[in-house]
Amino acid sequence: MNETLIAMRGITKFIYGSDGKPIRNTDVKILNGVDFDLAAGEVHVLVGENGAGKSTLMKILGGIIPPDAGELHIGGQKVDLLNARDAREKGIAFIHQELNLCPNLDVAHNMFLGREPRRHWVKDAATMYERSSALLQALSCDLDPRTLVARLSTAQQQIVEIAKAMSFASRVVIMDEPTASLTKREIDVLFDLIRRMRADGMGIVYISHRFEEFLEVGDRLSVLRDGRSVGGMRMSDFDPDTVIHMMAGHAIDEMYPRTHAVQDDRVLEVQGLRLTPRTPPIDLTVNRGEVVGLGGLVGSGRTELAKSIFGVRAFAGGQVRYLGRDTTGWSPGRLIAAGMAYLSEDRKTEGLVLGMNIRENTSLASLSSVATLGLISRRKEQTQAAGLIAQLSIVAQSAEQAVATLSGGNQQKCVLGKWLSTEPRLLILDEPTRGIDVGAKAQIHKLIDQIAGTGVAVLMISSELPELIGMSDRVYIMRAGAVVADLAAGPELTQEQVVAYSCLGER
Amino acid sequence: MAKGAKRPFGAVPGRMAAWIGRHVSFFIFAVLAVLATLCVRNFAARDNLVIILKQSAIPAVACIGMTMVLMTGGIDLSLGYIVGLASIIAGILAKTLLLPVPEVVLAVLLVGALIGLANGLITQYLRVPAFIATLGSGYVIYGLAQIVSQGSIVNRLPKGFLAIGRTDVLGLPSAVFIAAGVALGFHILISRAIFGRQLRAFGFSPKAAALSGVPTARINVLVYAISGTLAALAGLLFTIRVNAAQPNMGGGVFTFEVVTAAIVGGTSLFGGIGSVAGSILGVLSIKIIENCINLLGVSYHLYLAVQGAIILVAIIVGNLTHHRA
Repeated sequence: MNETLIAMRGITKFIYGSDGKPIRNTDVKILNGVDFDLAAGEVHVLVGENGAGKSTLMKILGGIIPPDAGELHIGGQKVDLLNARDAREKGIAFIHQELNLCPNLDVAHNMFLGREPRRHWVKDAATMYERSSALLQALSCDLDPRTLVARLSTAQQQIVEIAKAMSFASRVVIMDEPTASLTKREIDVLFDLIRRMRADGMGIVYISHRFEEFLEVGDRLSVLRDGRSVGGMRMSDFDPDTVIHMMAGHAIDEMYPRTHAVQDDRVLEVQGLRLTPRTPPIDLTVNRGEVVGLGGLVGSGRTELAKSIFGVRAFAGGQVRYLGRDTTGWSPGRLIAAGMAYLSEDRKTEGLVLGMNIRENTSLASLSSVATLGLISRRKEQTQAAGLIAQLSIVAQSAEQAVATLSGGNQQKCVLGKWLSTEPRLLILDEPTRGIDVGAKAQIHKLIDQIAGTGVAVLMISSELPELIGMSDRVYIMRAGAVVADLAAGPELTQEQVVAYSCLGER
Repeated sequence: MAKGAKRPFGAVPGRMAAWIGRHVSFFIFAVLAVLATLCVRNFAARDNLVIILKQSAIPAVACIGMTMVLMTGGIDLSLGYIVGLASIIAGILAKTLLLPVPEVVLAVLLVGALIGLANGLITQYLRVPAFIATLGSGYVIYGLAQIVSQGSIVNRLPKGFLAIGRTDVLGLPSAVFIAAGVALGFHILISRAIFGRQLRAFGFSPKAAALSGVPTARINVLVYAISGTLAALAGLLFTIRVNAAQPNMGGGVFTFEVVTAAIVGGTSLFGGIGSVAGSILGVLSIKIIENCINLLGVSYHLYLAVQGAIILVAIIVGNLTHHRA
């Protein structure tokens, strides 16, 4: 085996509470004693479900966040990375999914940003253009270093990032889903580049969900699940079933309530909806009293679909039929009045008004029901808030407590309370239990079941496979802006199936 | 909860600090009033207090509109120039064209509303930041006012027109009661009505508000229209008080005074926080400062410097607390 560039040993990262302090007395950790190696001249593929810890592990390697425990060895020496700059100087380049270039500067200025070559205190532009030109040519790229970055395609920007990494004499390059926004041809160019870097003895960490791509370019594969390394293999021994099994995990050890019953009335019918002009049409239905799960990887278009249904995102074609009417183009306000509700995945900026208290948040979407002639009745509003605090077991001193001071679970209950106040007929839940503690999670699961039991149609986006399978009557899986599967849920549906559809688009 | 349980006594000063924080405009007002009474001769004389009320009425009307704009996180820098345009239009309509008083009032308010509407539409739909949009429109309005007036002042206005703001009621001019009525109406609108609640939610968090069905675009346009209308009303009352219509009335100095008053009144420049009661107290507070500067015979320019200092301190304090939150 080649020289080892990177060795990470026992890397651990705790989850952090809302007070910014690590929570140590729990088994749940973002990373739990992870080992990771990278040799010179290899492409090491890192896979795992949403939230498995891939990004956190790479942020630690990139010096962006420090580990809470564990050791990092670079070239056989134990080091502590101070920050991203320190990591870069030690030869580790991180190419983020969102590229970090200044669009208003040209290629060369971006490559040498903050470390422009100087002569007598003055920027030495000639040397800078010469060196950037040489770096680009080394990548067999004929890009003019004087081109403005704003004029470059995403693929070209990526090449600039890679050239920038080379200029630091990086030996390790981390690529986080580099192909996410590239066309097939651009991907081929990128892969050529990766092969060339590998031949030059560099080590590449390649994070991706796309099996067909990493099979083409990878040498070795490691799987993370729930913050632990669960195994790996050489790409020559690759077997999709094994990998899917490793990603998905085993038994569903939690119990999910299921007292609701699906009725015949159709509440939501999405017909041929295209998220963008280039993605295929989506069909989807939700009935009264039905919990429909929407699975898939982050970025597969689940939130975009939900926001398209809820009237806050324009889509490229097709229509949304809600309660028998075409509601395409309706505003959220009009849809809310008609009984539609959308609980956002982003609780802090889209779910709650953090400057307001519980009472004001829970009534925000149903103000007309607590008002007479446009004037809010404080008494009615207080009664409503008190009722929700009791019904949802929100732990708070009073309805006047600022929501910013509540725990994540109680905040989420407030958002749920806001939507229950609107007496919804369709409740769209986007990651309803993300980032909340186990107790609150179980309570929210119970509430969702109860809500469906009253005849509400529920469409639930979830990245947590047990929750998705355990709560839903039916599950749609999305991949790259398309619905690739419509599966009956229940114990017979396995996590492996969901992962296979999410990553491969087929089973 | 856990913190409170550990330090049962710690919670009390915290809550008191929060209470003072919420009523900061009242404390500023009270401290200033007490200090002025004790330290400045003739301050507490009845005639002087009436002067302060008279001088506060006009900026108070304008400040209510500005407060609403600030609550969205925007700003209306054209406000003072609308005062000048409203003044000269009122003068021309009332004296040169001899229009009936109700028609003059309606026309002037309508001009203010339309300018405000334009400001709102530019910020909302053309995505021009409020600061730039209203600074630009302000200069357009200033230029227009100069052209309309041809550089001259219209004075000695008709009696019937002057009566709007000069009629004596219980020893105070009617302008003070007009301001009080406007303040009461908008106080109810902002603190009790659905509109006010939605305005606050929008100011705090436009995304969360929009996703809760708040008509954010409509609110954002409407506040500028209200600000423009109230600025025009202020211009009308100002014209009546000085018995002269002039295009230079108001201007940047007036805008600045109104913003300062709103900030002293507890309005946040970051949106979401503000109240009519606070802004009225803010106007009274800065008018007390101005009055004392006059009584003490200090240069009037000190008043401008004090205003600038108040805004700077408010922004710095706001920045510190904002980033910590």
